[in-house]
Amino acid sequence: MACLWRSEVCRADRVGPAGGRLEDEGQVRAEPTRRLVLAAAGAGSLALAGCKGIAVLGPRPKPGADVVALTRAIAAEELMIARYQSAAAALAAAGGSGAAGGSGATAAGGTKAGKRARAMVDAVLAEHREHLAQLRARLVLPPRLATASPRPSPTPPPVPAGRHKILAGLAAAEAAASDRLVAQLPAVPPAVAQLMASIAASEAAHVVQLGYGRLAP
Amino acid sequence: MTVNQAGRGLSGTGSPRTGKDIAALEAALAAEQAASYGYGIVGSHLTGVKFAAAAADCVKHERARDSLTGMIAARGGQPHPAAAAYRMPIKVSTAAQARSLAILLERQVAAAYLSLVAVSDPALRRFAADRMRAAAVRAARWGGRPQAFPGLPASSLRPAGRSGR
Repeated sequence: MACLWRSEVCRADRVGPAGGRLEDEGQVRAEPTRRLVLAAAGAGSLALAGCKGIAVLGPRPKPGADVVALTRAIAAEELMIARYQSAAAALAAAGGSGAAGGSGATAAGGTKAGKRARAMVDAVLAEHREHLAQLRARLVLPPRLATASPRPSPTPPPVPAGRHKILAGLAAAEAAASDRLVAQLPAVPPAVAQLMASIAASEAAHVVQLGYGRLAP
Repeated sequence: MTVNQAGRGLSGTGSPRTGKDIAALEAALAAEQAASYGYGIVGSHLTGVKFAAAAADCVKHERARDSLTGMIAARGGQPHPAAAAYRMPIKVSTAAQARSLAILLERQVAAAYLSLVAVSDPALRRFAADRMRAAAVRAARWGGRPQAFPGLPASSLRPAGRSGR
């Protein structure tokens, strides 16, 4: 059952100089002519149900490792975006009311440093939205699943009080997410591996942007 | 710094897959060689902490270069020797330009690992991804403007936008 859509993935894997157009002398697997189809579980069962009758409607086939890896990456980005949204809200609240998010005498967001932190969090959040859009574009869902009501956005862990702790929490989340993406690389097709590696690199750089490991000015 | 043809010609030394691996390793090697050379220029315009940072980054590129050389040889390929000199993307005569050069070098290195991160050998993928991450981190440390997709050319991104949200 799974082979129905697994074979799509395998064929997409083999796209080479003869099959798809490789840009930059083989550097980038853009595969513009043949869309990389990673259909989610359910596509196979629907297709087979059509030709073999109701008897085949057993348990859903397990999604392949590539689909699992991509789905996980998408979920991780959604969670990261939720984290940044609540961090941005906490920083803004601290900036507006003075001590709301502060851990003591100093406010978190009212100062120059607080404003800088908010601008930076917004900028990184925008990059994560771009990551999510690109990851989602690689996952082609069967129509029925694609039009189903969207999943509720994930609930991020509570935001700590104080600007430094907020940024440290985000940096730790970025580092962990970057590691997890790299760990998923063996499971995905070449073009998705390139995208995931690039996103992992972006997330590692976010740690520096958030103020960790930057060179003295 | 583009993928050179040499690696592809070596596919006769093993399976087609090995030939692909070697070509991807060669592309990364060429970038690491250029970066090792370029950091010499970067460092020569810096002092103090920044000089030390340039020296440390130079060593990282030299190590990567040596690892890649070893990987190519282990697969039966013949690693291309470094050129005597490399044309740098910008002229450097100030500390600020030296930083800009470091950022440019790191971006070129990140892009040069794209082929390697797409080969089927998981160990090579991992190596390439780690080097891409390190390059992006170094670029950020040198003050490079953040990039949502380090190493990826814009042409490889899907016009996804709206459907993604």
